[in-house]
Amino acid sequence: MNKLIVSGALSMLAASAPLLAADYEAGKEKAAACSACHGADGNKPITPDIPRLGGQHYDYLEHSLKAYRSGARDNAMMSPMAKPLTDKEIKDVAWYFSRQPGLVTKY
Amino acid sequence: MNPNRVTPLLCTWMLFAVLSAPAWAEGDAAAGKQKTWTCEGCHGIPDYRTAYPDVYSVPKLGGQSAGYIVKALQDYKAGSRKNTTMGAIAARLSEQDMADIAAYYADSSVGK
Repeated sequence: MNKLIVSGALSMLAASAPLLAADYEAGKEKAAACSACHGADGNKPITPDIPRLGGQHYDYLEHSLKAYRSGARDNAMMSPMAKPLTDKEIKDVAWYFSRQPGLVTKY
Repeated sequence: MNPNRVTPLLCTWMLFAVLSAPAWAEGDAAAGKQKTWTCEGCHGIPDYRTAYPDVYSVPKLGGQSAGYIVKALQDYKAGSRKNTTMGAIAARLSEQDMADIAAYYADSSVGK
């Protein structure tokens, strides 16, 4: 029983890990620069080849920004945007966009 | 500016605008639905994650910009965007397939 409680508490902690690592308000502030192209809340891209970000998975957004930063993923617009970001800033921005309404899993 | 000079300039600009417009095939969402069986195994499962070496949730596609999906697939096919699974899948897709799949995911009224 005690083991069950401990493992339950641990898994809840794991699920809220981004909450502990990422700062929504700081992300919102950083996201103002993104909105110039991705639109308000990342949901109104200014051209069709720009992705929506609203509601996207936190860890996918984090993975994408890190790939742009390292050069593993290359884009004339995104590479220079991602280069100066710290790990913390990437987590903040990713957390902010992942918490907006928008994209869904479709099948 | 002399109007005689403006006309050729304008024509050159218009020609450039037409030539540089992205050549996307027209997408058919209903046809796209028939082509997403390979996508569904990962993108259709809520919170599905990739495996080794990088672990992260595969992106949600429902409601995504059609042009972005086409571009992502083109880049995977060309190899300029690298992911082993997506590279192998995109390699078999035609421009029409890509446009149809993009139309399906972008149009949230189809499917479900």
